[in-house]
This record gives sequence, C-alpha cells and structure tokens, in this order.
Amino acid sequence: MADKDKLAKYRTEIQQMMFVSGETGEPSAETTTLIESIVQQQVQEMLRECTNLATRRGSRSISTDDLMMLIRHDRAKISRLRHFLQWKDVRRSVKDNSDDKGGDAGADIGAGDADIAGVAGGSGPAVETGKKAKRAKVDLVWEPQSFYNEFVPARDDDNDEEEDEQNFATLQRLKNADERTKNMTREEYVHWSDCRQASFTFRKGKRFKEWAGFGIITESKPNDDIIDILGFLTFEIVQTLTEEALKVKDAEDLYKKETGGEPQNRMKRKRESGLFDPPEEAREPVQPSHVQEAYRRLQRGNNKSRAMLNFTRNIHRSALKLI
Amino acid sequence: MSDDGAMSFASANVSGEGGDTIGDEDPRAALFRERFILTEARLMAALGGKTQHDGSDGNNAGKDPPPDAAREDQPRAAITPKKPARAIDEDDYGDDDDGDDEDDANQSPLLSKGAPNGAALSNLDPPTLKVPSLPAKLGVERTSTPSSDQAKSSDDVRKKLQQDKKAAEDAARRSFHTLFYTLENDRDAMLEQQKLDELDRQVETEMSGHPAAGVTNGAAGAPAQQGSLSTANLGASSLTLKHLIARIDAKRDAVHATDAQLRNLISEVRKNRSKWASEDRIGQEELYESMEKVLMELKATEHAHPFLQRVNKREAPDYYIVIKHPMDIGTMMKKLKGLQYKSKKEFVDDLMLIWSNCLKYNADPAHFLRKKALYMKKETEKLVPLIPEIVVRDRVEVEAEERRMRNGDVDVDGVEDSDDEEPLMASRGRKAPGRGNKGGSTARKAPPAGLEDTPGLDKKPPIPSFNNLKTEFLRADSEMEGSINGLSTPPPGTLTPFGPNGIFRGGAAGSQADASEADGTGNSVSGLTLDAEDADLDDLEYKTWKQVTKKDRATIAADRNRMFRGDHLNVEEPAILRTKAGMRRWLRHRKEALEEDKKDDSTTPDGKDGIQPTGETLAEGIEGEDERQVPDYYDPVSAIPDMSERLKWVEDSEGNVINQAEEFMRIVPKGYFTAPQGALASKIEANMRQMQDTRKICAKIGIVKQMQLQSQMYQNQFQKYGPLPFVEADVEPLVVSDDGAIMSPYVCRAALQRSVGKIFYHAGFEEFQPSALEAVTDIAGNFFANLVRTLGAYQEQPKMKMEEPSTASTGVQSAWKPRFTQEEAVLHSLHENGVDLESLEGYVKEDVDRLSTKLAGMHDRMKSHLAELLRPALDGSAGADGAGAFNDGSEQFVGGDFAEDIDEDFFGFKELGLDKEFGLASLSVPLHLLQNRMYNHAQSQNASIVSTTGVLMEEPPKFEPVTIRNITNEIGLVQEWFLAKLHHNNDQQLPEDEDLPVKQRFPKPRLPPTGKISSPRKRPLKEQQQMARKKRKLEEGKDDSTNNANATGSASGSGSAVVNGNGMPKAIAKPVGKLRLEMPGQKDSQNNAEPEKDDGSAVGMISPESIGGA
Repeated sequence: MADKDKLAKYRTEIQQMMFVSGETGEPSAETTTLIESIVQQQVQEMLRECTNLATRRGSRSISTDDLMMLIRHDRAKISRLRHFLQWKDVRRSVKDNSDDKGGDAGADIGAGDADIAGVAGGSGPAVETGKKAKRAKVDLVWEPQSFYNEFVPARDDDNDEEEDEQNFATLQRLKNADERTKNMTREEYVHWSDCRQASFTFRKGKRFKEWAGFGIITESKPNDDIIDILGFLTFEIVQTLTEEALKVKDAEDLYKKETGGEPQNRMKRKRESGLFDPPEEAREPVQPSHVQEAYRRLQRGNNKSRAMLNFTRNIHRSALKLI
Repeated sequence: MSDDGAMSFASANVSGEGGDTIGDEDPRAALFRERFILTEARLMAALGGKTQHDGSDGNNAGKDPPPDAAREDQPRAAITPKKPARAIDEDDYGDDDDGDDEDDANQSPLLSKGAPNGAALSNLDPPTLKVPSLPAKLGVERTSTPSSDQAKSSDDVRKKLQQDKKAAEDAARRSFHTLFYTLENDRDAMLEQQKLDELDRQVETEMSGHPAAGVTNGAAGAPAQQGSLSTANLGASSLTLKHLIARIDAKRDAVHATDAQLRNLISEVRKNRSKWASEDRIGQEELYESMEKVLMELKATEHAHPFLQRVNKREAPDYYIVIKHPMDIGTMMKKLKGLQYKSKKEFVDDLMLIWSNCLKYNADPAHFLRKKALYMKKETEKLVPLIPEIVVRDRVEVEAEERRMRNGDVDVDGVEDSDDEEPLMASRGRKAPGRGNKGGSTARKAPPAGLEDTPGLDKKPPIPSFNNLKTEFLRADSEMEGSINGLSTPPPGTLTPFGPNGIFRGGAAGSQADASEADGTGNSVSGLTLDAEDADLDDLEYKTWKQVTKKDRATIAADRNRMFRGDHLNVEEPAILRTKAGMRRWLRHRKEALEEDKKDDSTTPDGKDGIQPTGETLAEGIEGEDERQVPDYYDPVSAIPDMSERLKWVEDSEGNVINQAEEFMRIVPKGYFTAPQGALASKIEANMRQMQDTRKICAKIGIVKQMQLQSQMYQNQFQKYGPLPFVEADVEPLVVSDDGAIMSPYVCRAALQRSVGKIFYHAGFEEFQPSALEAVTDIAGNFFANLVRTLGAYQEQPKMKMEEPSTASTGVQSAWKPRFTQEEAVLHSLHENGVDLESLEGYVKEDVDRLSTKLAGMHDRMKSHLAELLRPALDGSAGADGAGAFNDGSEQFVGGDFAEDIDEDFFGFKELGLDKEFGLASLSVPLHLLQNRMYNHAQSQNASIVSTTGVLMEEPPKFEPVTIRNITNEIGLVQEWFLAKLHHNNDQQLPEDEDLPVKQRFPKPRLPPTGKISSPRKRPLKEQQQMARKKRKLEEGKDDSTNNANATGSASGSGSAVVNGNGMPKAIAKPVGKLRLEMPGQKDSQNNAEPEKDDGSAVGMISPESIGGA
C-alpha cells in the first residue's frame, strides 16, 4: 500500500501537466502512474549522476552546474532552463523590492513559461519592474567567459541572439498553448492557468525530496536552486513524454483509420458520427502503451555512445538517457 | 642414354660373351652359334648387296624422321591444350572431327615410324638374339606388320582416348589460372593416395615375401627379383650389342648413318626394357605393360576407392556368402605382379568381376557404390581397348613350336607358313618392334598420374625396381628426357618394302584387328557418351580437374599434413621449401597464362612455337623438373613476387650497374604533416588568436588588480604574458623513394596530438596535462581508425547488378555498380560512428562561428575593463610621475577622453618604460598612483603637493658594473674582495644594489640628523627580521629596542617605496640625506592607513646591529 501511495503522489500534477502539454482527455491512473515512475527514475538518475560529478569535483554537495552539465547537450533545454533561472532571479528581486506584488510573482516561479508569455505580452507592472531590475545572467562553466582567469564584466547591450534561436521549441509550445487557449471560456482559462502552475516541487519540497530520494542518493539538504531546477526539469520530462505519446497515438489512430482498425474501434467510430458526441478533445486519452512507446523512442540512442565499441566485441550497455 | 654408358656396357659384355662362348658347348649354344653365323652371312649379304636400298632407307629414316617427329610431336603437345579444351566445353568427345582428322594425319607418320622401328630393329637384332634363321627374321618383319596394323587400329582408339584425356587435362590446366578450386577435396585425395600407396606396398611385401609364389607361373627367370631380370636382360642385350657394334664397325663405310644416330639407335634398343620383360615369356612385357597402366589408371580414378582392397568381413559379414569370387584391384595388382595373367581376357574378366561383384552385392539401385561401380565399369570399357590382344606363352613352348615349324618347311623364306605370330615373337627382335610401337603410343598417352609428357613408366632404365614403385614413378620425370628421345627417334626403315606377303598379311591381320577393335571403339564411344550423361553428378570440368590433379594434390596435402600431424607443428619434419624448379614452373605458368590471355582461339603456328620454348632454359634440364598438375596456389612458396622496375638490375653499355634509385626519389611535399588551410581551420585559428589576445589583456588586468592589493611589487613578480603565435611545424625536408603515404606512426601521432591540442585550446583550455592530451589523442586515433574501417567495409560491399549497363568515364562498360556510392558510404560510416551532419554543422555553427563572435565581444569587454582600471594614469598632462593627473579639477577622469591613448604597448608596463621614466627599479611607486584609493586619497589631499611636481635633480649616471674585465680599475685593496664576489657570482658582473629585488636589497644607509654614520651597513630586510626574531628570543629584556629596530627596518624598506610614490623618484636614486629627510614626515602623514609605516625616521638610526655592536 505504501508503495502505491508513494507512486501515486503526483497524480493530479501529472494530469495537469499533461493537460497543458496537449493531452485533452482524462488520463487514466495507470498512465499517470507510469509517467510518474518514469519521471522518478529520471530524477533519481540525475541525482546519481550529479553526485558522481560532485564527487569527482571533490565536493559532497551537488551544485546547479552539475545538473546543467547533465543536460548540456540539449541546447534548447539549457537555454530554457537559463531563461527560467533568470526569471526566477528577477522575480525574487521584485519580490524583495515590492512586497505588495511579490506574492503573486513568487507564486509563478514554478511555471516559467507562463511568465514568458506574460513578458511577451508586455503586461503586468511587476514584470516590468523585474525587467528593469536586470536579469542576472546565468553563466555556464563551459562557456567562453570561463576561458579567462579574469571575470568579464557584463555589458548591458548583451544580445541574446542564441537564446532567440534556441527557444524555437519553446515558442512552438507557446504557440500551441495560444491556439488552445484562444477559444477558451473564462472558466476554462482559469482551469488552464491553474494547470500551468502544476509543479512537482513548488510548495511540496518535502514531498519531492522524499520522492526523489534525497538523503539516500545524495545529501538531504539540497540547494533551493536545485529543487527549482529539478521542478523545471520534471515538468519538461512530463511535457516531452506527453507530446511524444500523443504523436504515437496520432500515428496509431491514423494507421487504424487507414487499415480499418479493430472492431471495437469501428464501433466507436460509428458512434463518433453522432450529433451529440462529446467534443473531440474529450475522446480517448493517452494509454500507457503510448507512453511506453514514447519512452522507448526517447530512449533510443544514437550510435555515438557506442562508436568506440565498433570493431570490438564489447557489449554496449546503454545508460539511461535523460529525457 | 649416354655414350659412356653404352661403351661401358659394351665392354662389360665382352667378358660375358667370352664366358658364353668358351663355357659350355651345350646344344643350344651350338644352335645359337650356328644361327648367328647364318645371320651374319645374311647381314653381310644385306649390307653388301642391298646397301643402297637399305642403307639409304635407314639413313633417311634415321636422319629425317626424328626431327620430323620432334617437330610433329612437340607442337601437337602444344596445340592440344587449346582445341580439346573447347571440345570439353561442348561436352562432345566423339564428334571431335578436328581431333580425329588430326589424329589420322598424325597417325600415319607415326605408324610408319613405328613400323620401321620394328624393321630396323629386326635388322639389327638377329645377331644379338642368335635367331639365325632368315625365315625367322623375315617372319619377324611380317609378323610385325600385323601387330603394327593391329596397333594402328587400336591406336585409333588409344589416340582418341589419349586425346580426350589430354584435352581434359589441358582444360584442367587451363583452368588453373582462371578458376579457383577450393582445397576441400585435398584431404580425401590424400587419404586415397595413402591407401593406394599402402596397397602398393602391401602388394610388394607380399610379392617379396613369397617370391616363389610369383615364380610359380613364370617359367624360368620370373622377374620377381630385379637383379636377375636386369642382369639377364643386360647380358643378353650387351651380347647383342657387342656383336652388332663389331659388325657395324667392320662395315662402317657401308652404313650411312652418323655415329650419333647409331648410338642413339643402340641406346634405344638397349634401354627399352621394362620390368615385365622376360626372355622366357613371350608377349608378357607388352601385355603387362598395358595391363599395369590400365590398372593404374583405374586406381587413380576418383571412384576407385571402394574397390582397392578386399572387402572386409567385418564391414560386410555376408559378403563372402553372396560373392563367391571376390576380386579387387589390390588383388589384381598382386596377380599382375605375380605374373598370373596369361591373356588380356583373364585380366579383363577379373576387372569386370570386381564391378559385377559390387553390383551384385549392392542390389539396391540407389546404393552409392553402384554408381561408382558403374562409373568404373565405363572407365574400364574405355581403357580395355588399350590392352593388346596377346596371350603370354612360354618361350620353351614357343620355341618348340617354332622348331617344329621350321622343320616343317625348310624353305628359307618360309614366311607364309608362319601363320601364327607366336613363333616370331620368340625372337628378341619381335619384341622390340612391339615395344617400339608401344613406346610411341604410350608416350603420347598420359600415364595415370596425369604427368604430362612423362611416359617414363615403360621406358624404365634397365634396372627396374619392383620394390619402390612410387619412387620409380616419381623418377619417371627425370627420365623424361630419355623417353622423349625414345619418342622422337623411331628407328628408321619402313615395313612395307619387305615383301608383298607381309603387306598382304598385314592387311589381313589389320582388318581382323580392326574388326575386333571396332567393338572396343564402339564400347568406348558408348562409354564416353554415357559418361557425358552421367556427368550430372558432378561438374565435368571439376571432375576432370580433380582427377588430373589428384595425385599431386595428394602429395602436397600429405607434405603439409606431415607438418601438422597431431594438431601441432612438427618441428622435426622437413620444411616445405621453395625450389628452383618450382619457381621456374611458376614463372612458366604465368607466362603461359599471359600468352593465353593474349591469344585468340585461332592459334597461329607461331603461337605454338611460342609456347613451346617458354621457360626452357638450360637450367631446366639440369635440375629435376617435376611437372606437376596443380595450380600454382598449391605451391605458394614458389611464387615469385613482381619486381619493381626500379629495383631491377640494369647495366649500361659498359657493364656498370645503373643506379636507378635517384630517378624515383622524391621530396615529400610541404605541408604533409600540417593541417591544410581550410575555412574551418582558419576560423579556428582566428579564434585562437583572439583568445590569446584576450588572455594578454586578462594578464594585464590581473597585474593591475594585484598591484592594487599588494603594497610591494618585485621586478620579476609578474611574468610577462607573451604567448607565441601558433605555428605548425612541418617535418624537415624529407626524401623518399617510394610512392604512397609516409608510414611514420610517431610523426603521425604527433601531428594528431598537435591537432588535438589545438582543439583543446580552442575549447578554452589554455594548458592541459600531457596525460590528458595522450588519452584524447589515443581516443581520437581509435575513432578515426574505426571510421576508416567502416568506410572500407562499406566500399567493399559486393557490387550490384544494374538494370542497364552504363559506360564509365574511361569508356569501360560495366553492368555492375558499387553497392554504395561514395557519398552514401561516407554518410553510412559517419552514422555508424555516431556522427551526423547536423552535429557536425552544429559544431561549426555553435562552437566555431558563434564562439568567435562571443570571443570578440569578450575581448572588447576586457579591453574596456582594463581601460577603466587604468584610466587615472593615462592622462598625458599628468606630468612625468603621473602626479599631474591630480592637478586640475580632474576633468579627464570624468570626460574619459583619453581612451584612445590605450594601445597595446602602453599597457605592457615594462615596455612602457615607466620604471625608466621614473628612474625606479620597481614598478611599485608609479603603480600606486593608479590605485583608486590613491586617487581618492590624492584628491582629498591639499594641493600643496602639486608643487613637488617636476624634476628636482638629474639622475646621476649609473655606476659601471664590476666585471672580471674592469676589476683592475678598482682600488687594489678591494680588488680581491670583488674577485671573490665575482667568483661567487659565476664571473658574471656584479649587480648593483638597486637592481636587486626589494627584499634582498640592502637598506640604504641613512644619515641621521646628527651627521654621524653610526652603523657600517644594514643587512637586508629579511635577514634583519630573522635576526630580530632570534634576538627576541635571546634577549627578552631588550624588547623595546628590538621592536624599534624591526620597525625601523621595515619602515626603511617600505618607506623608501612610499616616498617614491609621492613623487620624489629622482631624489632617492642616491642616498641624499637632506632631501630624504624632509619626506618621511609628509609621507607618514599621508600613509596612516598602513600601520607599519608610521614614523620610522625617529628611531631609524638605532639598528639592531648598532645596539648589538654597542
């Protein structure tokens, strides 16, 4: 029982995240449980790797750099993460500056994307002030500024062309969200924005720590930033998984349509043509099999990891791939 | 056979003859003598009367035909490889018209040659054999006609068989260099061969074990023991020769033949003895010769294996119940050697018995042995016609008959009544022609082992060895020469002129023989066609190949097997070495193959001649040339690699060796081991230069910051950051003599390492550990090796068939295209190794292009940062010591209009010459000016300081440094001291105190206000401190004074620096008391931030030394 409780810890959040990520139906408990276990596995793997890195560095506690190191090859994700961290910084400073609005801003930390949307829209005085408060640049250790032994003073006119470029996926997501919210009623939108705030970590720090294995895998008192980054990353995982699973499902539906599908589906399609059918969105949620297939696809590595094993007889044991 | 041999034989026979004549006067000998006399008389008559006719004939035949035959034979041997090969391809044996025609054409001369051979021999023989009767002699001639005619008819068959065989062989040989046969059958071949050998050995041992058994049937001197046989033969023939030679010598002028020809003839006669030859058994030699050959042939066939030995009772318990008369090839061999066969029929019956036994026992039609048996049967039918129809008869019997007959007709020319051939066979002369024929035919017929043109078996030397059949077999090769000789020199003379009867008879007998042989031919033909039908079980070509090469393959495989017997290398076994003969063979085969490639189907006569002499060097005859019927890849040790042109031994006209090496020398082109200049490479290098520049600025910033923190600097504290530009050194000019890449792993690795290092640097590592570099270089090398191997694997994929043939740029049409195009192969191998184009592109875009913009931005920022740091000191109007910057309202610091003064050299402080300008050994003073806090401080100061600006005193010239050279200029008193110092300083010039680092510098002596110099000289700062510490320990009571001294020391050190900082640089170059004394007060008031520096002047004069000294 305890195990089940543990597994079912984030059911609502995952549902909300999936909803935000494009899943319109109500995913079953199996699906969310599966996703939750995948996310948990991923987080634990990350923590393990981070601990390894930190140990190699000679430190006992993991740092944000370690986490970023793990996802360094995913430039887009790194870029989003940096963006998120910057805005988190902004919000913090805004909160410090203006207490009256700070509460709201702080509440938004978990869902950086919403804020980006907000920024894009240029609305909200708090955000305006935040922008003025100068976003702290999050530097990565492998970036050119670390080439030199002197700290390079930041310049105001730093252009972030790379970020613009790398945020393509983010923008695509925002666009999708925009499409979906276009025709929403007020209540629906409230629900939507509630869902956007779903987080594994926000205001659930203890639960998350327990869930992710802090204290077992790594030291039990993590940095706040690390928790936040993990929150961000977990959301990303759920989002990526859901998107991939939806793709799988679409492909499957298309295939079934073309080949006639299974009998039961045919019945459903008959019903489909009815006048009082529920809206399209409410139809078939993503099944665990879809999630599994999506996970498999995401885990499918390229040849890079085993390139050095070519022409040898060593067996390649692929490590868990971080989504 | 050489002349010497002949002579020795002749001489050896004298005694034999003597013994013969003197010894016993038995009636036989008397008879012989009588006959001999008769014959001699006849011979005289013949030579004397018909010399013209006979002699010229003999001459003609003796002279002309041999070359003819040689010409005729050799080219034919050369031609045959071509035509029959085609015949094989078409699978028609019987309809080979060309071959038949040719056969006929070739046959007649050969036959006529064969016949004359007989005639001539008969001419020569009578005296030797002491067959005195003329009728006998004529009979010989006559009977030889039918036999030769019979030979002719059977020759047809034989020829054809031979031809086919040869064709098959040649086809097989041709395929040597066109087809590759796997070695999988070698083991079987070897095992079979071993079995055969074993069988032979068994037979031999049995024979030698029971010689009596062998002799039982033989009348008198059964040739069981080689000794008896050979001696008997020799005795007889030598006797013959002796008389013959004597006779010929007597009538030398009448004989129209050269000595050589005669000698040839004689050796011919003497040599042609086989182991089967027996004086007492007439016809045996001929019959057994052919029987043995047939048996050998059958034994060597592929399917003979099951029939080689008796059926084992364990294997087939009921065999001897079913089969009442078992027979096998081994038993037949035994019987053969035991001379148990009397006629062809017996032999053939036995053979057929084997097959029929097999068929009988294995009644199941699907049984695999049946197939073999049927095959063998066919094979037998094919071969049987080769055996002449001869019934072996005892000499005694024959002679008795003969005598009876002679008594019957007294007529000297009683040729007619010698109806049966047998009596005539009694004569030795009779035997010879038979063998002459045989020699002709067998020479052309390949022996079972398939040794081409080694008809040596029957041409054995007069010492045939029964015991070692095998070695004999091998030796047959070495006798090739002799056999060829025998082939090409058929004795002269024709048969026909010897009487119409003979012709008539011959014709009759010939027709008979024809009739009898017709069956054989028919049989063989049917057998052949059947064979062709049967060929489906195996590729015919392959089968012939297997058959032809079987023996040699077996030998080779056995050789190798011996080396590796027991699954390990047997070191004791003789190694397989290359032989001259093998290498020659290899060369010849290659040449033949090349020529064959060149030639068309219609071989010109030139071509025939062209092939023949190939590889026939003098040396060939010298060393035993064993022609082997195996492809060259069976003899890899003999292969001769191609020699490069430049290594050939070429001599010029004067016989000097031309050194060709120089022509092939080439200089390795430049840039072989440097990175090629590509767009990416140049971008990377630009990035690296950018990084270096930025690092330079960083170093300056670091120095400035350090200076701001630190109160004291030392001259060499800051290493100048002067990175060298990256230069890729190429290898020294290098000359190589061969083409292709330079294989130098070390250099290549170093080049790769350099590239890796560059990439490291480009990735931001200014320096790295060698081990890291090594590791990454190894990984990179491994990766690239993998990449190339993958590429190779993709490019070596088998080609694909195209729908429509395309024409390549070279004009060559091909219906095949590579499985992967170049591009595909590259992409595939990249993918296999985890690289895709996106990542490569991404690298260029992100890690090179974007990096360069980032680096440029960083450089700018660094530069401006440094400019900000240095800003206060940069005003040109600030005066020589920079203090002027503080003079006015410091507008420049606000306006920032001096930024353009910043240039590279300006920031290199050393180069700037700040120290020189300030006359200081240390940078500490002017740089303190740059400090913000100093700046602030100065601003807060009153303006009174300004007045100190300017040059107060000229700097005195520097002392000349003391060196070894100018030491003599010093006062004599100090010279020694200086010398010691110099020596201590390794004879370098002695540094001035001012040039020493601050810490080592001796404090400048101060003149106290009193004007008295109380202490000789102070120790350097550090020493003082140490001393002070020691003192503190020692004299606790003297606390005050020590502290004072300490304070004094440090104050004096730092004080001087500070003073300088305050804009009095010129003044302190020399210990000028007055001026100096003014300053400390001022300075102290300024510098109260530094606790150490508060007033040292008051107590300055009291030094530890002075205290101690006092």
